[in-house]
Amino acid sequence: MTEQSGGSVETAVRPRAAVLAERFPIHRVALVAVAVLVTFGVVTGSWKTIAQGGVSGAGWRTFVVLGIDQGSIYALIALGYSLVYGILLMINFAHGEVFMSGAFASYFVAQSLDSKGLLTRDPIPSLVLLFLTAILVSMSVAILLERVAYRPLRNAPRLVPLITAIGASLFLQYTFSGFFGSDAKGYPSVKALEGTIDVGGFPVSRTQALTIIAAIAMMIGLSLFIARTRTGKAMRAVAEDKEIASLMGININRVVVTTFAIGGVLAGVAGVLFALTFSEVDSFMGFVPGIKAFTAAVLGGIGSVSGAAIGGLILGVAESIGPVLLLTGIHVPATNQLRDVVAFTILVLVLVFRPGGILGTGEPDKA
Amino acid sequence: MIGSELLRRAVRAGLIGGVAIVYLALVGMVEKFEARHLVSDWLNLGKLLLALPPLLAGYLATRPRVESGQLVRPARGPAVTAGLVSGVLTGGVAALWLAFVHLFPPGAVRNIFIAVSPKLLDIMTFGRGLAVGVVLWVVVGAGLGALGAAYRTLPERAGRPLSVGLATTLMLALLQRIIPPLLYNLNLDSTWLYSTSFGGLTPVGAVVVFVVATALPALWMVRGQAVRQRVTQLPPARRRVFDVSRLLLLAVVLAVVPRLLGSALSEVLGEIGVYLLMGLGLNIVVGYAGLLDLGYVAFFATGAYLTALFTGAHLVTSLGAVASPSFILHLDFYPAVPLVILLAAFVGLLIGAPVLRLRGDYLAIVTLGFGEIARVLLTSSWLQKFTGGPQGLRDITDAHIGGVGFRDPQPFYYLVLAFCALAVFVSVRLADSRVGRAWSAMREDELAAEAMGISTVKYKLLAFAMGAAVGCLSGTLFAVQIGSLTPDSFTILVSITALAIVVVGGMGSIRGVLVGTVLLIGLPGVLDEFEEYRLLVYGAALIVVMVLRPQGLIPNIRRMRELQEEEVAQDQWLKEEAPAVTVGGGGAS
Amino acid sequence: MSALLEIRGLVKRFGGLNAVDGVDLDVEAGEILSVIGPNGAGKTTLFNVTTGLYPPDGGSIVFDGHNLVGLKPNQVCSLGISRTFQTVRLFPNMTVLENAMVGQHCRTRSGVVGAVLRLPHTRAEEQSVRGRARDALSFFGSRLAGYREDQPAMALSYANRRRLEIARAMATAPKLILLDEPTAGMNPKETEEMISLIGKLREERGFTIVVIEHDMRLVKGVSDRVVALDYGRNIAEGTFEQVSTDVRVIEAYLGKGAVKAG
Repeated sequence: MTEQSGGSVETAVRPRAAVLAERFPIHRVALVAVAVLVTFGVVTGSWKTIAQGGVSGAGWRTFVVLGIDQGSIYALIALGYSLVYGILLMINFAHGEVFMSGAFASYFVAQSLDSKGLLTRDPIPSLVLLFLTAILVSMSVAILLERVAYRPLRNAPRLVPLITAIGASLFLQYTFSGFFGSDAKGYPSVKALEGTIDVGGFPVSRTQALTIIAAIAMMIGLSLFIARTRTGKAMRAVAEDKEIASLMGININRVVVTTFAIGGVLAGVAGVLFALTFSEVDSFMGFVPGIKAFTAAVLGGIGSVSGAAIGGLILGVAESIGPVLLLTGIHVPATNQLRDVVAFTILVLVLVFRPGGILGTGEPDKA
Repeated sequence: MIGSELLRRAVRAGLIGGVAIVYLALVGMVEKFEARHLVSDWLNLGKLLLALPPLLAGYLATRPRVESGQLVRPARGPAVTAGLVSGVLTGGVAALWLAFVHLFPPGAVRNIFIAVSPKLLDIMTFGRGLAVGVVLWVVVGAGLGALGAAYRTLPERAGRPLSVGLATTLMLALLQRIIPPLLYNLNLDSTWLYSTSFGGLTPVGAVVVFVVATALPALWMVRGQAVRQRVTQLPPARRRVFDVSRLLLLAVVLAVVPRLLGSALSEVLGEIGVYLLMGLGLNIVVGYAGLLDLGYVAFFATGAYLTALFTGAHLVTSLGAVASPSFILHLDFYPAVPLVILLAAFVGLLIGAPVLRLRGDYLAIVTLGFGEIARVLLTSSWLQKFTGGPQGLRDITDAHIGGVGFRDPQPFYYLVLAFCALAVFVSVRLADSRVGRAWSAMREDELAAEAMGISTVKYKLLAFAMGAAVGCLSGTLFAVQIGSLTPDSFTILVSITALAIVVVGGMGSIRGVLVGTVLLIGLPGVLDEFEEYRLLVYGAALIVVMVLRPQGLIPNIRRMRELQEEEVAQDQWLKEEAPAVTVGGGGAS
Repeated sequence: MSALLEIRGLVKRFGGLNAVDGVDLDVEAGEILSVIGPNGAGKTTLFNVTTGLYPPDGGSIVFDGHNLVGLKPNQVCSLGISRTFQTVRLFPNMTVLENAMVGQHCRTRSGVVGAVLRLPHTRAEEQSVRGRARDALSFFGSRLAGYREDQPAMALSYANRRRLEIARAMATAPKLILLDEPTAGMNPKETEEMISLIGKLREERGFTIVVIEHDMRLVKGVSDRVVALDYGRNIAEGTFEQVSTDVRVIEAYLGKGAVKAG
């Protein structure tokens, strides 16, 4: 027949291997094993912790509120990732720095206001000014990023913009630390935001209340914007199919810039809220929240607004309650060190098992 | 005289140049670099840094462009004018900024921008106060811009040797820590070349270097073709001798270098070696197989910690006592190494398995997650009994060969050299083999590769395993060199540095990884000013490389095609088919 | 005697659409079979499922006595089926020769150890791979030979790229080659050449061939048998004359009115 009909020995060997693989799909077995282990760990750990009663009811409630608070911030940042990914199919790795830049800029304004006592005397106009500053700066950084680093690479193979984004993230972090110093700056506190409110038995600090309310408000605003305005419609069109959208007369560049700008606005707001909550800013503060926000975005299903919100919420609460709940029971010391591990583990698990997000289809998009 | 298109580009370049100067000043580079003298006290690195933006603005504004299918290069007149314009703007922006800063009370700006010190302002006004400074900026800027543009219009015969000459002079000036000891160890006098009082080149030395470094390439351009011809026409037996002797020469140089450079510099070489190994390992994963691994530090850490645990290290308990980790072996270095490599390859499989089906960017993020999980676990109190927690492990047994320990930089260098040579050898052999072909195919079109009988699962896992093995080897060396480990050495910045080396040097190109390592690790190692701005430069380098030249400095030919298909193809066509047309500055052509 | 490839009741769903809806197909060893049908009839999906790209939702596929369901594409390839793609999927930055050499991957075994140590077995294997790749390329005469070997695949003309894809498929030493629209985008002269080429593939090299095609000249010129699909189902089978005059086939292509008018 042919010069080499499949090579006598080789094909004899291969089909047997193929048949074996058919009967013992190692890959699937491994995945199931991991899933079982994780579930087992979660259940056992939680059970033991609750049984031992090391944390009081009030303690749990504080954790929950903390989780929702953090989750709100994550959600705001996550929206930036989601929107950009929906339109450009790229992960804006430097979005954490967009967040940081707004917070940082607002720090200077806060300092100045505080030194004049305005933070205490006129908290509301002061806060508004802080938010506006952060929004302005974050938006500018985001737009600059798009223009300088991403636009030239619109048609490049997918790894190229990602590497550029990593470079941009590094660059921004160290630019800020070069300009303003690498030490952490203490963010002045606003008297009006001190104190706790009791919400149905849950202790909520005023700052936390502001955070949660602001986040909800912005998310509702964004949803309405995307659903009702022309620009929003254009954004949805471009996210569906860039080429067709441009054929329909939509200016792609303008839509992309708008998307980045909106992401910047949300990140700026998140930045001020974060600074108010943790009372400090530094040029490296964007990295970890950035990754966690990305986790939240993927968790809820990247590309969707409600997904980012839900993802943020789940991540925040899981991160807050998780380590304590799962690990104190089995006597793991200093569980709060491991909060980041919870977030990263969720990241890995979601991307590996369900990259479409918990609301998604469960199948990775083959884009 | 100057077309509107060229003018527009000149204005843009000028403004960007001006922003660049302000940026360099604000981020503190100008002041820091001012301390580094290049040519006695005439020229220091800070001044050079300030001179670069107007020069580059002029150079880049006059870039030849493709207009209606032809390569259009501006003529000298319009080019110089464009250069003048961009230079004036660059200087102008800088001057404006200076004036603006002077509006505020002294020290006020410094509250926000910490680099704006009186010293900086003095440097930026050339030591002559604001008024003169402003004028000088505009004038000097104009001059430099015109110079940059004029350089563009030089014929290749003159331009090439000139840039080689300038670059070599700069490099020798920067290597002022290396060359004098080198010459000293060779019993050569270096005081005529390097100024002992200022640290840079002497004026005489600079001129000599420049002349020689310009003349050599000029000569090569004239005679070089002939030499190259003769080499390619050598009969195969003779050719082999030639190639082998080239390699031997390289080997001799590499072997002799630490003796010549002294032990302080051998330390830097050791660091270069460790990162070179990491770069080579990551090159297999990213360059050959096309898998963007952002968690490479996990392998590095695995190698380091496993080595420590296998050779009997100690940890410090939370109570402050010295103890043995809960799991410990007391092997010697050499038997431990293969065991560590094996385990690391296994870890590579573990990390690779879940990410097999993931698409490029998701794969990157997941590996990033793994790297971070590893770091947190290493620092945690939970695993302190194994890893030593935040204080890490210490008293790692030194390795020996022939009675010489490797804590000493010079013997360590040889150990590193040996491992690097091994890694290079393996990489080269793999690239040009069935395995390498499978990786290339997989990288270019995973679906088609699978359809042609390549098991992408197997080859992805293989890439991860090999990358892990090499990465952990570098961790092993690191552990031996330092003798103790703390988790602070294993942050994501290590992964990013390795990525920068591979990307900037050239993905998939071994020579590229070498150049990348020398540039990105060697330069900061030798020059403290660079050390401080290391990561800033990495970030900028990544952006610049990806936007301008994604195939890296020394490209792997195949990758270059992949990443720049359109441009390279067009470039080729233009160079071969269409002679460059000089037009008067564009305009409506 | 059973056929080389036996497909029974194959089903493949995408979302709500039944791309392949119960297809039966027999391919005898040594024959050239054409699969025709209007766009969307499920022809390429049939290829994709057979070669393991997607798992089927129902039905069976038996090739040379082996069950193909659940196998991955690379396993299917080593069993002896190779294919070309509707849109040419070469490795654009690898050279022509390297593209063909990749085809030999599943027939060779050397791994990392062999590559690094350049064992004699590996060196001999590389020689043989190179030789067989060249042999596959030489099937197309001087078009893919000589200096062309070292050109990157993306530098080739469109027709040459299609030919290279076939050469690559040949290099896998298959028993069965699936060609997906091999003449799409070719001019009449190139199509003529392809007709004789496909014939030669069978006569000289002994491959069994299944072709998806829209160009009826090619179908008529090469086929022993023709199978027509529409909406994922078989609608006709037989020689070209039988199928091309079958009412259902004409309806599928041209619509119900065409039969009356014709």
